[in-house]
Amino acid sequence: MGKLISFRLALAVPQLILVALVVFLMTYLVPGSPAAAILGTSANPERVAAVEAQLGLDQPFFTRLFTWFGSAIQGDLGNSYAVGRPVTDMLLERMPATLSLVFGGLVVAVLIGLTLGLLGGTRPGSTTDRVTTTITAITVAIPEFWLGIILLLVFSVQLGWVPVLAYTPIEVDPLRWAQGLILPSIALGVGSAALIARSMRTSMAETLSARWVDTLTATGMSRRRVIFRYGLKNALIPVLASTGLTVSILIGASFVVGQVFAFPGIGDLMLRSVIGKDFPVVQGGVLMIAVLVIVVNLVLDICYGLLNPKARPE
Amino acid sequence: MTDTYSINLTRAPKPEKGTKSPSSAKRIFDRVRRQPLTVAAFFVIVFLALVAIFAPLIAPYDPNQSDYSTLLSGPTSAHWLGTNDLGQDELSRLLYGTRVALVVALGSVLIAAMLGVPIGLLLGYRGGWTDRLGSRLVDVAQALPGILVALAVIAILGRSLWTLMFAIGLIFTMGFARLTRAVTLTERHKLYVESAHVVGMKERVIIFRQVLPNLVGPIIIQAAVFFGSAIMIESGLSFLGVGLDRDTPTWGGMLSGAVEHQAQQPFLAFAPGIAIIITVLAFNLFGDGLNDAITGGVRKSPRKKLTTAELPGMSNAPTASAATLPGQTYSMGAQDAATAAPDATSPWDSRADEIRTPTGATETLPDPVEGAVLDVRGLSVSLERPEGDVVPLVSGANLSIEPGEIVGLLGESGSGKSMFAKAVMGLLPPRTRLSAGSIMFDGDQIAFQSQRALRAVRGAGIGVVFQDPLSALSPVHTVGKQLIEPLREHKGMSVAEAKERAVELLDRVGVTEARSRLDHYPHQFSGGMAQRVAIAMALAADPKLLIADEATSALDVTTQAQVLDLILDLRDEYGMGVLLITHDLGVVAETCDRAAIMYAGEIVEVGTTTDLFHAPRHPYTSALLAANPASDAQVDRLPTISGRVPLAGEWPVGCHFANRCAFATEACTSAPVPIVDQVRCVRADELTLEAVPR
Amino acid sequence: MTTTTPNTSHETEASRADEPLLVVEDLAVEYESAGAVPWRRKVSRAIDGVSFEIFPGETLGLVGESGSGKSTTGRAILRLNDAAAGSIRFQGTEVTTLGRRTPLSYRRDVQAIFQDPNSSLNPRHVVGRCVDDTLRTHGVTDPGERRARAEQAFDQVGLSTDHMHRFPAELSGGQQQRVAIARALVLEPKLVVCDEAVSALDLSTQGQIINLLADLQAITGVSYLFIAHDLGIVRHISDRIAVMQRGHLVEIGEAEELFTNPQHAYTRKLLGASPASKPEGRDERRARREAFRQMHEAETQLA
Repeated sequence: MGKLISFRLALAVPQLILVALVVFLMTYLVPGSPAAAILGTSANPERVAAVEAQLGLDQPFFTRLFTWFGSAIQGDLGNSYAVGRPVTDMLLERMPATLSLVFGGLVVAVLIGLTLGLLGGTRPGSTTDRVTTTITAITVAIPEFWLGIILLLVFSVQLGWVPVLAYTPIEVDPLRWAQGLILPSIALGVGSAALIARSMRTSMAETLSARWVDTLTATGMSRRRVIFRYGLKNALIPVLASTGLTVSILIGASFVVGQVFAFPGIGDLMLRSVIGKDFPVVQGGVLMIAVLVIVVNLVLDICYGLLNPKARPE
Repeated sequence: MTDTYSINLTRAPKPEKGTKSPSSAKRIFDRVRRQPLTVAAFFVIVFLALVAIFAPLIAPYDPNQSDYSTLLSGPTSAHWLGTNDLGQDELSRLLYGTRVALVVALGSVLIAAMLGVPIGLLLGYRGGWTDRLGSRLVDVAQALPGILVALAVIAILGRSLWTLMFAIGLIFTMGFARLTRAVTLTERHKLYVESAHVVGMKERVIIFRQVLPNLVGPIIIQAAVFFGSAIMIESGLSFLGVGLDRDTPTWGGMLSGAVEHQAQQPFLAFAPGIAIIITVLAFNLFGDGLNDAITGGVRKSPRKKLTTAELPGMSNAPTASAATLPGQTYSMGAQDAATAAPDATSPWDSRADEIRTPTGATETLPDPVEGAVLDVRGLSVSLERPEGDVVPLVSGANLSIEPGEIVGLLGESGSGKSMFAKAVMGLLPPRTRLSAGSIMFDGDQIAFQSQRALRAVRGAGIGVVFQDPLSALSPVHTVGKQLIEPLREHKGMSVAEAKERAVELLDRVGVTEARSRLDHYPHQFSGGMAQRVAIAMALAADPKLLIADEATSALDVTTQAQVLDLILDLRDEYGMGVLLITHDLGVVAETCDRAAIMYAGEIVEVGTTTDLFHAPRHPYTSALLAANPASDAQVDRLPTISGRVPLAGEWPVGCHFANRCAFATEACTSAPVPIVDQVRCVRADELTLEAVPR
Repeated sequence: MTTTTPNTSHETEASRADEPLLVVEDLAVEYESAGAVPWRRKVSRAIDGVSFEIFPGETLGLVGESGSGKSTTGRAILRLNDAAAGSIRFQGTEVTTLGRRTPLSYRRDVQAIFQDPNSSLNPRHVVGRCVDDTLRTHGVTDPGERRARAEQAFDQVGLSTDHMHRFPAELSGGQQQRVAIARALVLEPKLVVCDEAVSALDLSTQGQIINLLADLQAITGVSYLFIAHDLGIVRHISDRIAVMQRGHLVEIGEAEELFTNPQHAYTRKLLGASPASKPEGRDERRARREAFRQMHEAETQLA
């Protein structure tokens, strides 16, 4: 167990450094001087040079690289051009909303996905299987944000069931937090649920055609027992392996779904910054999301190792 | 006879003239044509492409022409899909939106393929450090949310059509790279690539002329799926307002407007969304269909409905369709599924002494063997092909095993020996079915029984050992769990008792340090040890019959000898009957008391091992013995059997072996040959056959 | 159906006087595997200190169980694995130091037939093309000549020209292996490494392929390194046999001599374990194995 975690950590550290390096290099790719972007088009060259010196932009490449890395490790990602506040603060205060939404979406995706996948995968070729396969095939093609729009239209605008557009931080009121998450989570999670269902179906069907299923059946074990006590764990391995990608898809989609439900998350902030060319925020946002993804994958990798004895380092 | 082996060499059968192989592209096209859904998806794609090309001709209005007299109108006769907040015609914008969707999708997928495929080829083919470092990079890049990558690219490069295509393309680049790498990696280790090396081909030639053709299929399939995703992402970015500017009509942009005004005009949200869904669905379905056509997989049979009775482990319950075997007048399975209660009595009449086999022969069944642990009579198994036709795999097989007796079932691949064993175990694979016969186990009929009834028999009476020991054990559960659980279920033991018994069993089959090894996973065992564990599992319930299906074929000779010796020891100790299925004459010679020789679905001869080796009565048995290279006689040339085993579905009317037999006469081919006095040969009594000298 | 009269015979005694075609000396091959941390690789020796010679027109059998290194040895000769130490000399030329790109002349002289005939042919190409590509690689530029030589090769291995237009999936295992033989022999090599070349085939097909190999040897004088785990087949086809165990060559000798008078304990164990061709004496054989096992157990307990 300790070995497994240290092995995975050893893999994650270079990934983090790599991502940070790429994010740093983004600065060089932006056309035009950041100083000009801060000061606006009317600024004279002297003031631009002065601001550049103040930001350390006139320093040689490696000095800038190390300065940037040094501050990034301490959590300093610079200040926003637009509002002048520290980027880290701006991102962190929006993190809970994003995490809530992604978490809600993941719960919906896993619950619906595994159920549908099991229904089809344990009886491949059956009517149930064909129905679930059809449902998932259609669901995969529905854009998350469109589903959000329709849900909002039906439940909030037309029926008025769910309080409209209300994200409440969990520490303020857990119940309202949960209520506000229902529709966005469904909108976000259903598409990924279909992906999980498809992968679970294939995996389960494949697992149940394995030779060892025959062996266990031959010992007189009931099919239900074979499926749930043995098949499930085997079938979950490939599904878990693709869950990292699912989470990444959910984070990406949460940006768009968040806009539909006016979620005050990182996506919203990023979007404004992209349109407003507030580059430090974009840079910081990319880095923070990347770190989040790497951490999620680290956790999933460890789970994977626990589930699959072959993936454990000897 | 047909042997042309003189100074020159055995001729392989000539393929029929005029039936040249169609090219692979044509075969794929033929398969796609038979999938209605894929064809429909293809036509939708063509339709969308036409709409995109001819949008200016079809669209009723200029998409940017504002009519301020009708703002946010619902559907009217002038504006079928209504108008937006600027009074622009929604239908026209929808039609023009197709252009952006398809152009961006096409552009981004092309960019992604052009960047990703070479990267993947390089990583997969070079391997080593390049690959380790490169694929880490690709993995990290792919783990990032696509929208995030796109936002970063747009933030850097600004908004334009090209940026959009590049931004979305970058997301899929890693997908293509990973796919290409994975396929290349598997292909690289295939023998045809090694053969190309040995022949001296240059690396470049190998990559582009040998490996690349094998990549085309997976890449096209992936491209179709990415096409759908690209349309989704493009609409998402347009919806966020970072795609193209507002003047360009896009589906995502239309939805963005719809959200702003959903209180006034909810209808606006529907048409663009449905357009996206249909487009994405069409590309996904097309990709899936193509995948099936290229890999040859069949997901759904168009005509035949699979019932649960034909699924693994449930295959020998009676089914309604069993009555429709072609050319069969009397079928054992001819019972309506609806009337077959789970524990219904067998449709088999134990007094019947004659059956019609699937190949049409009328067989006189042997008398039931009293006291046998297993008595199989007239067993037939058939396969239902996806095309709907039914092919016999085993036809009218009789075999009995006494307690304490080891009986071999010997045959080459395609002989049906494994199907015979699976039928006895009630573990026929999907689409195969017991079509006739009686299987008496220890005095109980087990043919055509429900799974529940079989479970009791299996757990208590029949142990099974399969060929590949590592695939015969669940890879993610400890050996202990897999051994202990059946013991608890059948013997009602407590955990501690079951554990003790498990240790005892492992010890008995020769697993050293049994107690500590209970916590080990199957992959931590060597092949021979894993097979011992599998035998321990089979022994758990003190079986009266042990079925070993090629149980030693995957093992090395020394390990094979140990496992066979173990089976012999266990037989001596427990007195169980053993059915030993093998393709190896040596295994029969070393272990079996009696053996049955199987050829093309039929048992052709049964006898004691000594008789079979020294006085074979069927020409096939004799030919097999002669072809055995292990024979001591040092001859320069191995005697061979010309031709090959006929495939299931291509069996001749008469003797299945006739076209390869040196002694065949007209009588052999005119009518089905019954098994008489333990041999299926019309000339059995008049032939003197070559045998192994004593 | 079965022909027992010998039509041809290997003229091995005559050729043995020649210089050896291939000399393998103290050969070692290493392989890497993942270590405890991602960037550390474990290196272990798959084979070590392997030495043998192959003479022109001779068949050397190489037997051993899985993991014995017999295939690794063959692959090193084919330059599919790098040698870590030792030398391989082919007609006096050192092969291990040839550099990254193997000269075509060596490729022409040393060919291979692999175990799984299905995967040794490119599934996307008709089988005729694989012979054609081989000739093209070796500078036969005239398509007419290539076709003629390919047809001749197909004819030699008992396939008709119609088979050339088929995909591998449309041929039986035996036919696929014939194509692999045609590809190997179309260049008229001096040595063919047959790595479990008949192991995947059924008994009746095995005999056909072995006879074909023997006939082609009689006509062309090619040498074989015949790698297999099946002792019966190796005994039948080989002039001499080498036995490998855990990466080492433990015994080498004339085929009949090795079978009738094995010197090394492992060879004896191997022979004792391989199934006989008739049931007589099986109880004695079982008893002998049991005695051998008990002796071995006693030894391990002492140690």
